[in-house]
Amino acid sequence: MIRIEYQTQRLSMRFFMLMLVLFFFQVAFGLLAAAQHIDPALLAGQLNFNVVRAEHTNLGILWVLSGFIGAILFVGPLLSKRELAAPGLIKFLFYALLAIVVWNVATQSLAQQGIAGWWQGQPMLHEGLEYLEAGRIVDVVILVGFAILCYVVLRTFPPVSEWNEIHWGLGIGVVALTLVWIFGMFFVERLDLQEYFRWYVVHYWVEGVWEVIHISLVGFLLVLMFKADVKSVGYAVFWGISLVWLSGLIGNAHHYFWIGTPEVWQFWGSLFSALEPLPLIFCFWHVYLDSHQDDKPVENMPAFAFLLGSVVLEHVGAGILGFTMTFALTNLWSHGTWVTLSHAHLALFGTFGMLGIAAAYYAVPLMRGKANFDQRVGRLAFWLVFTGVLGLCFAFAIGGTVQVFVYRTLALDWFGGDVAPAMQFAKVMVPVFGFVFAMGVCILVYDLMTVGLRDRDSAELPAAPVVPVAPTGWGRRLHGWETGLWLLGMWFFGGVITMGLLSFNLRTVAEGSMMLPYLMGGVGYTGLLLVTLGFVMRFLRSLEARGPVGAAQVPATVAAATA
Amino acid sequence: MSCPPGQRCEEGAKRRRALLVLGTMGAIFLALSAASFVDSRGQAIPSQVSYAGYDAVEGKRVFQAYNCMGCHTIVGNGAYFGPDLTKLYGKVGPAWLEAFLPSAGAWPTSGAVAMQLRDGAIADESGTASIDAYLEKYPDAAERVARRGGHASLMPNLPLTRVETQQLVAFLKYASSIHTEGWPPKPKVDGLSFPQARPMPAALASTAGGAIPAGGQAAAASPAEQGAQLARDTGCMACHSAGTERLVGPGWGGLYGTEETLDDGSTIRVDEAYLTESILDPDAKVVKGYVPHVMPAYEGMLDAGQVESIVTYIRSLGGDHP
Repeated sequence: MIRIEYQTQRLSMRFFMLMLVLFFFQVAFGLLAAAQHIDPALLAGQLNFNVVRAEHTNLGILWVLSGFIGAILFVGPLLSKRELAAPGLIKFLFYALLAIVVWNVATQSLAQQGIAGWWQGQPMLHEGLEYLEAGRIVDVVILVGFAILCYVVLRTFPPVSEWNEIHWGLGIGVVALTLVWIFGMFFVERLDLQEYFRWYVVHYWVEGVWEVIHISLVGFLLVLMFKADVKSVGYAVFWGISLVWLSGLIGNAHHYFWIGTPEVWQFWGSLFSALEPLPLIFCFWHVYLDSHQDDKPVENMPAFAFLLGSVVLEHVGAGILGFTMTFALTNLWSHGTWVTLSHAHLALFGTFGMLGIAAAYYAVPLMRGKANFDQRVGRLAFWLVFTGVLGLCFAFAIGGTVQVFVYRTLALDWFGGDVAPAMQFAKVMVPVFGFVFAMGVCILVYDLMTVGLRDRDSAELPAAPVVPVAPTGWGRRLHGWETGLWLLGMWFFGGVITMGLLSFNLRTVAEGSMMLPYLMGGVGYTGLLLVTLGFVMRFLRSLEARGPVGAAQVPATVAAATA
Repeated sequence: MSCPPGQRCEEGAKRRRALLVLGTMGAIFLALSAASFVDSRGQAIPSQVSYAGYDAVEGKRVFQAYNCMGCHTIVGNGAYFGPDLTKLYGKVGPAWLEAFLPSAGAWPTSGAVAMQLRDGAIADESGTASIDAYLEKYPDAAERVARRGGHASLMPNLPLTRVETQQLVAFLKYASSIHTEGWPPKPKVDGLSFPQARPMPAALASTAGGAIPAGGQAAAASPAEQGAQLARDTGCMACHSAGTERLVGPGWGGLYGTEETLDDGSTIRVDEAYLTESILDPDAKVVKGYVPHVMPAYEGMLDAGQVESIVTYIRSLGGDHP
């Protein structure tokens, strides 16, 4: 059985557990927000929608960060071949994170009374800006927390001359995480300038920092899971990060189309952010390559399922759906509507959320000394969460297409009377799929919290926890050409969606015919999400067909793989 | 794109080259950024936009303090629960906003907008003191008054003070003057007069009923019924419920005859005289727990007979009849 070599790796456990708790509450707030969309009078005056939404987005950011910290602390000693530096500071970081969560959840509700706690021209208690709702006090504590993380990571790593690409990725990632945060710590008088800097934090975090940390962690988890060669993965990480930054730096311009900045951004934004899917396709391809370098059975199926989900949803949610609305001519219509919600949910939860869960599924059983745990619960949770989030994305996309037509083309701006009733079908779909998602989350949280501690696990599991799948049909080996076809299928439907958004510019649509955008949106989103679902099913079935893991195939230590 | 083990990979050179390209891009980005905020572009600046003596920066603080972006979008960013606020001021004008914001739970009637126009500063900002001219100048306000006036809105009442309301309007005035490069796109059809384009006409009918029953079917007969009709038309019901529930102001149900404590600690009985005074000059005696300068004064807007029928209506809603 795999042993934990470095005791400080166990410090990651508390961050994974906190991640699960915050995830649960974030989903609860999300369901409440969905219910308020259907009945806006629900809790109005007691818990207004803007507070519910602020809790939902803030908890989302906080649990993703908690998962990142957990994953970094777990792989840090393996990458450095020594214990983490300053374990005391890490414990302090955990309690600081707890305090941040409690304080921030409490202060967001002050928005109902219009209390921001202005002092020295800064909003001390809450800021009232999308994604940056946290007040200045908590901003400072978060900055200190990031600084601690930087210190721990950089002190743990070997000297810079010995760094490989994964060290570079994580090292740059945590430093940039801290630096970019500073741009959100000032009250800006001008709305255009405030939005300009707000996207520094939001876009560069997601596109410049989180994605870099994501690529590095995915790379290293692949090294751990498939004994992939650290050098070849390192090259993938290098190219991934280079492409992310070369496309994402100017790609931020897609947020500067309509905020009061000049028209010239439309050229630069459309051009460079159209390149943003490149590193994601690259990462997608690498997951295929690394998981097929030999045909050994996958030891930890839930961890790999979430890792695959993370990379595929990054490609579909961030890459393809981002691409569809990144051109000035399509963004003109999608901007400020539910269309962007479908992209945001799939990209943020899919990419970063699923990575944290994958890391937890890999690390938690090892830390509890249960490499041979019952994987059926985790796989069930994966499928519920995965289909749930695809369904959510579909509901938002369809609702968004209707919203663009009613709100922009017909210029009906009475949300209660015209816009919301037209979107009613999609609004009902959201909590339906949200419920499927939430079921998966409950199972997942329960499973990860208790794996290795449950009674059933303490008895030796039967030799074959995974029911073998025949290596025929959906279970046969997945070849490169077939993966390429699935990829082409996704992009084909992505193209249909783009055309659907473009069609809003046509005279016939502008004059009141909704046929083209509704048809292309309906076909495009349905097709894209079904192809995505099919591909992940096919991928996982083919891996399951490799058969159950025999005890003999489990290598002695994790560290051996990193040599 | 990969480097097999044992081969010279020149990682350092590759890293340096990547950094060079990245630096070039950073320079392009910063040059574009610097050009975006030069004064000569003529973009609106909040410290130079004022409304009723408040500048838009003060309004932006109110906008953030209430987390308006948590339900609405501004320049398209924020939540998608309510409509975009960027161009709202230019479309509906200041008087409609002043009538709507303090009692956002209900849509203002034309009487409520007309009431605001009696304020000289608001009339100046609107460019007219006449409600007819105002509704003609701001067709979106006319559409809102005609279709939504008196119905419940989906927005909760917020504890905005008079000052905060005007600061917020200052911010919306600034936002409306930002040049946004053609966003949102100009519609080519009028959704309201283009029946073929109605997305789901059946849905429209089902939402027509709000919390406040639509009146005006039959000619009001008794003074209390006349008062009820008048209260709806004037927009009273945006802030006062006919039950005991407090919206912005006190509910009218059972109010008559009660004993209330004022701000200065003295008590007063709610009778005809007090109700009449509170309609005509609401700031004269403010009950403890309520903010002054929120309710407009109806002196000169309603004549003695109209005030009397509203008071009769309030009496008819129950309470202690001496």
